[in-house]
Amino acid sequence: MSSTIAPRTPRLAGSARRRLVHGGFTAIALVYVGALVIAPLVGIAFAAFKGGWSVIVDTLRQPDVLHAYYLTGVITLITVIVTTVFGVIVALVITRDRFPGRALMSALVDLPIAVSPVIVGLMAVLLFGTGGWFEPWFSAHGIRILFAVPSMVLVTIFICIPFVIREVVPVLHELGVSEEEAARTLGASSLQTFFRVTLKNIRWALAYGIALSTARAIGEIGAVLIVSGSITGQTETSTLYILRAFDQFQDTQGYIVAITLALASIVLLVAIEAFKRRQEKVRET
Amino acid sequence: MRSPRLHIRFVAVVSLLAVGAAACSSASGSGDNGSSAGSTAACTPAESPVITLAAYSNVYDVYGKLISAFQTEWKDAHDDQQVIFQTSFGGSTTQAQNVVAGFPADIVALSLAPDVQLIQDAGLITHDWTQDTESSIVASSVVVFDVRPGNPKHIENWNDLAQPGLQILTPDPAASGGARWNIVAAYGAALRGQVPGYAADDPAAAEQLLTDIFTNVTVMDKSANDSIKNFQAGNGDVAITYEYAGLAAQKSGLPDELVIPPSTVAIQTPTVVVDKNAEAHCVEDIAKAFVEYLHSDEAKATFLSTGYERSVDLKAAQSGEKGAFPPVTDLFTTDDIGGWDQLQNDTVFGPDGAFTKALAAAQG
Amino acid sequence: MSAQTLERSLPSAPLPQGGPKASVTIRAALARWGLRGTALLYLGLLIALPATAVVLRGFSGGLGALREAFNAPGAKQAIILTLVLAAITAFVNVVFGTLIAYVLVRYRFPARRLLSTIVDIPFAVPTLVTGVMLRALYGPNAPIGGFLQRHGIHVIFAPAGILLALLFVTLPLVVRTVQPVLLELDETEEEAARVLGATRWMTFRKVVLPKLRAGIVAGGLLAFARALGEFGAVVIVSGNIIGKTLTAPYLIFQFASQAKPEEAAAVATLLFAISFVLVLVTERLVGLRRKESA
Repeated sequence: MSSTIAPRTPRLAGSARRRLVHGGFTAIALVYVGALVIAPLVGIAFAAFKGGWSVIVDTLRQPDVLHAYYLTGVITLITVIVTTVFGVIVALVITRDRFPGRALMSALVDLPIAVSPVIVGLMAVLLFGTGGWFEPWFSAHGIRILFAVPSMVLVTIFICIPFVIREVVPVLHELGVSEEEAARTLGASSLQTFFRVTLKNIRWALAYGIALSTARAIGEIGAVLIVSGSITGQTETSTLYILRAFDQFQDTQGYIVAITLALASIVLLVAIEAFKRRQEKVRET
Repeated sequence: MRSPRLHIRFVAVVSLLAVGAAACSSASGSGDNGSSAGSTAACTPAESPVITLAAYSNVYDVYGKLISAFQTEWKDAHDDQQVIFQTSFGGSTTQAQNVVAGFPADIVALSLAPDVQLIQDAGLITHDWTQDTESSIVASSVVVFDVRPGNPKHIENWNDLAQPGLQILTPDPAASGGARWNIVAAYGAALRGQVPGYAADDPAAAEQLLTDIFTNVTVMDKSANDSIKNFQAGNGDVAITYEYAGLAAQKSGLPDELVIPPSTVAIQTPTVVVDKNAEAHCVEDIAKAFVEYLHSDEAKATFLSTGYERSVDLKAAQSGEKGAFPPVTDLFTTDDIGGWDQLQNDTVFGPDGAFTKALAAAQG
Repeated sequence: MSAQTLERSLPSAPLPQGGPKASVTIRAALARWGLRGTALLYLGLLIALPATAVVLRGFSGGLGALREAFNAPGAKQAIILTLVLAAITAFVNVVFGTLIAYVLVRYRFPARRLLSTIVDIPFAVPTLVTGVMLRALYGPNAPIGGFLQRHGIHVIFAPAGILLALLFVTLPLVVRTVQPVLLELDETEEEAARVLGATRWMTFRKVVLPKLRAGIVAGGLLAFARALGEFGAVVIVSGNIIGKTLTAPYLIFQFASQAKPEEAAAVATLLFAISFVLVLVTERLVGLRRKESA
């Protein structure tokens, strides 16, 4: 009953006409993907290299740009750690626990997927802006949330919450508890069971979810645009820098930073593909 | 088998939610436009004080230079004290709204007075900035027409914008506060009798001009820069924009021409200290010193060379700054046609204002 | 919006039955570690709370504020434009996405792996960079863009540009939703049909398509929901021209930047309600299909 990943050659293949149809469909698929996905990548490469290497080096050495990369990195790191740790916890609770409201929890996890990033930014303003629900408390303690890095981290976390959870939940569900129960019967503690059994089983799904989270966190723009205040050199992420560069007629700089992000995302993509393949192999067995 | 710890966790969750609810109610109970100037820490100036500046987007390069120069001067005059500047650039009205929402700007450099008024109305500016040096205006520019090379549609004056079939780009006043300059320029030019076909001193005629123009407006962009880019992307026949934006665009290679109508408004951009924030951050004196610096000759030269802006002095601006810019036949200010308060709340943008009615008529 | 990961988890039922399967000892362990409370706190504080804030604010002005928001210049057009563009995106990508999924699953050719990887690129690339790439290719200074412009075709700062951006970001959603469904199809039914004399096209229509339908619809709905909320890719390529390229997410952004939170929240709630419902419906669709084929 298992379905293989590798495509099966149609058994009745053989006639030239059929091969033509196959070839035709394949060609259409390749052309569509090529025009839609590949061409823009090529375009950005040309635009970034328009000024030559010297412009590229100059741009990448600007303190604004370096800080933007740094900030993107920090926000991404915090986001990934938080969403991974708590994501696993939520996944465990959804699949292994039982209490009224479990369905609500599952729906809550879906919520960030359905929300446009600008709405997320609006949420932060409503909570932490002047007159916001939490603003007085934070103000009184001299803690700045909005128009500072904390709000940027919070909105990015919100947006990335579903990734790890939605990758791990199906795996946990399909695995069932037999292995974990067996481990317990043999005397393993909860922690041991978790690390030696559960974690081992979900590791590729987890890695896939983490890679998706990372890619999303790096690329966040809508929410951070609203909450960051765009303080140059302080609360400007790489994506915000790109936006500003284009606004100020510095197109080449914008293209250069954009292509570095594109390259980083392609590296992540390779990782995503690798994890996905391993995950599929695991699900096969 | 329930362990006691379960109960503890449950109680913890509930109490946190209760605290949250309490925070909500106290928040809604407090004033709605209170000051958000931060903590009430004692005011000891830091060794390296930090000044936060919120500015509109076009002056990124200008303030970069001005800040460097100011930092050097301050260091020399104050025992090597290094002043750090944090800068943020965005749409003028957005920046103003951000400051009202809590952005901790000590100084705001905005593109029109009503945006500063927003901050004053929120209680963050406590002094009468209109009485400061040069009324707090640091530079000026003019509303111009961005046309295709060679000006194929022969657009020279405001009434040319009314020619049938013309496609006009202009920023949307709802999205960009600075867009109001364009509308005020047309309105004022008509009122002053400088537009052929529209009677002087006649608000109805001015309104008609606005209606005719906005019948032709096909695009309302989110900022002046966007107008120029949109125009360059091939949309429209003319973009109404500001001289400094157009010149900056030309410098980065755009082939467009700029046409100055015979009568146009002086875009006066104010830079003001936000008292409540500057006081809370103990940088009041430095902030005031920086704003004063902006009125110095050195700063004015920077505004001209880097920012493509004319000076505050109306006569100099009109005559073209000794050849740096083309002269303007009739350069007027918002004060000449009633002042921003009146324009904003009544004659032009008010519920019965010329623009409000013109837009409705044009789009209807 | 980031519906990027749903393609993997859709094959499962919306809510796994943790009850009978999860033993008492495991549930007790979870309780001992306070995990349930932690999970509730995490989701409650980070998701439920902000969502409530928006919805409350959106309705705080009552229906009057909602009407104000929709009467604002450009609001109605923005919402209609967004719905129309999202619908076109979903339709186009359902057609091509299904085709691509079919090609990937059923055919064997040298570039297959490569095609599969390329289809995933939009999952990884930041949305803003998507817009930047399109601008690099179709902007007025670009070779293709300049050529098209001379022939009167505008892409950047025109709806075509937005459509391209939306097609780009939603393509993998459709492909990866249809692909698992295709993979699980038992080909013996198709072979039986053909042995019995049906043409390939008839086989496809009568045997394959009905089974694929749920997956295709799910993919289309996901693409639609995602396209509704797309901001990053759109902000660079659109000119935010009212009625032509001003989309609902940008409208919300405008309202939010002008400190009109009621209007922003009103439009946001509408958009969010549509997308949320779509995502839940999609879950159900694929969950049901899963139950059927199990």
